[in-house]
Amino acid sequence: MTGTEVAAVGVVTGWGEGAAALPSDAVRAAAGRRVIAAARPPLVGERFRRATRECLLGVAAVEALLREANLEREEIRGCETALVYVTAAGYGAANHGFIVAGAATGATLHFPYTAPSAVPAEVAIEFGLTGPYVILLGGAAATIDGLWQATLQVGRGRCRRALVLAVETFSECEELWARGRWLLRPPLVESAACALLIPGPSRATYAPASTESPLEALARARAGETLACAPLIALALARAGGGAAPFRLTGQWRGRRAGLAWEAH
Amino acid sequence: MKTEPVAIIAAGAVTPIGADLDAFWTGLVTGTDGVSRIERFPVGDLRVGLGGEIKKLKRERRGDCRASQLLFAAADDLRARASLDAPPARVAVVLGTALGGVEEGEKALAGDPSARRAAAALYDGPARALALRLGARGPVITVSTACASGATALGVAADLLRSDAADLVVAGGYDILCRFVMRGFDALRSLTRDRVRPFDRRRSGLLLGEGAALVLLARDRDAGERRLGRLLGHASASDGAHVAAPDPEGRGLEWAIRAALAEAEVGAADIDFVSAHGTATPLNDRVEAAVLRRVLGACAERIPVNAIKGALGHTMGAAATLEAIMCLLASREGVVPHTVGLEEHDPECELDFVVTAPRAVRPRVSLSTSLGFGGCNAALVLEGDAR
Repeated sequence: MTGTEVAAVGVVTGWGEGAAALPSDAVRAAAGRRVIAAARPPLVGERFRRATRECLLGVAAVEALLREANLEREEIRGCETALVYVTAAGYGAANHGFIVAGAATGATLHFPYTAPSAVPAEVAIEFGLTGPYVILLGGAAATIDGLWQATLQVGRGRCRRALVLAVETFSECEELWARGRWLLRPPLVESAACALLIPGPSRATYAPASTESPLEALARARAGETLACAPLIALALARAGGGAAPFRLTGQWRGRRAGLAWEAH
Repeated sequence: MKTEPVAIIAAGAVTPIGADLDAFWTGLVTGTDGVSRIERFPVGDLRVGLGGEIKKLKRERRGDCRASQLLFAAADDLRARASLDAPPARVAVVLGTALGGVEEGEKALAGDPSARRAAAALYDGPARALALRLGARGPVITVSTACASGATALGVAADLLRSDAADLVVAGGYDILCRFVMRGFDALRSLTRDRVRPFDRRRSGLLLGEGAALVLLARDRDAGERRLGRLLGHASASDGAHVAAPDPEGRGLEWAIRAALAEAEVGAADIDFVSAHGTATPLNDRVEAAVLRRVLGACAERIPVNAIKGALGHTMGAAATLEAIMCLLASREGVVPHTVGLEEHDPECELDFVVTAPRAVRPRVSLSTSLGFGGCNAALVLEGDAR
């Protein structure tokens, strides 16, 4: 199996775009705010008429990735690009809108946008992605699973590159998240992040992890609670710090911690 | 590089036509209609109130959501046929779902203030509940490629085994009927007032169903003699065309089928049977039939095809796993169930459909196809154990 490397990471959070926008201490920067919201990306056009905010955040994360990697859209278009999408709660806002707003007014959000697959669908349509396609649900541990899936897709030659995308929003369901406060530590920071994996010199090893990696701790400290986006933000921070293999990435969600280590071949 | 096959050791299911695997198979070959008036929640305000509802379900424990209860029933059936004889840390759970715990979200937003209800609304909750019940402490993964979820889950499970991340995987799919999904499909006008008629000239839409289907997977070399069949190849692909409708050219589905066949190292001439997604919506069936004709070429004339959603309704996350299991049971029993609801030939869907009655054939290699919202497509290549 071919090795892989992380070529670039695009990040959009409630703090701004890129790893450089993250505060040094998210808890202090939040100053007691429970949710740090990300603005609706200013994408316009008939095609986005029905798209939800989380769909647009997904598109914005891929655009940030392309800027970071200095790539044109055409370079990722087609069946040689895999798309792996991960979220713990990205469908929550749409579900909330369909259930609550629909019940109150009779008007309903276009139902297909309640599906978790709506976000990657809009991204795939926007960038013409027609390759391998996997959607995983869960927090940071699921993103580790997603990164592992991406290394398999690239390593086994199913595609030439893979995008691992995560999107999390909280504002619409803030009251529900407040009930489940044992699940996560505020501030909850709305985020979208996308990593590009390509063939490379490092071999990725996927295994359960018993302890938090330094990168997991760093991402939490700098960004706050970003659920499935956390491992991708950790990758962005590692790259910003000049990090290259070997390095170890972990992600935890609801009692399960998964790990992925990139080591030189 | 040849991809190692994965053994499917055993299966378990709960469906609208049967409360376990044997009853499911009997229902398929006898043409049982599992569609009825929905009784578990109000449907009087909906255009269509029919679905493949499971009427009787052993209630496990007050507090378990319905999705978990369906999974527990399927798991009990599975464990009656095979044991999870591996260390708990080496047993993984991979489940596909389109709706997860959304009914719990409805209840949470309708006035139930409990934290437990809010947490249960997360779509990965039922997979965690099943892992806990099984004592599985390996990876617990929830896949949600809409109505292709049950196929993608089997593919991810196979990857876990090939990567040596687990020794056994309980994999499959589930979904329940609830107000949320009925209201959604009703608003889309996707539900038929007629019966579900896959590939029929008069087809006018789908009806939803509920169910859970699980298989126990192991590396083929570790499975010994116990085997219902093998998963030879899988692939999933995006259409990149529309949020809700299939690509009119079926390019994503075609890519997925060709990639799955390549992984399995089989060609169209090796395929003995096709289990089609067959939702009975006008566009899905036309696109799917055209793709199958392109991929199978001249072999399409002799390969039997069926679709079982006419009997069950569309069980969403469970559908693809149920259809994969049906392929393996067809190999074991030497019979391919017929397509309930298909009576009038559609010239736009020219394939050798099994109609009217089951057909006595014993497929060795089967192809199962799936499509879902979000441009999700998946294909599985399965080999039955015909001994």
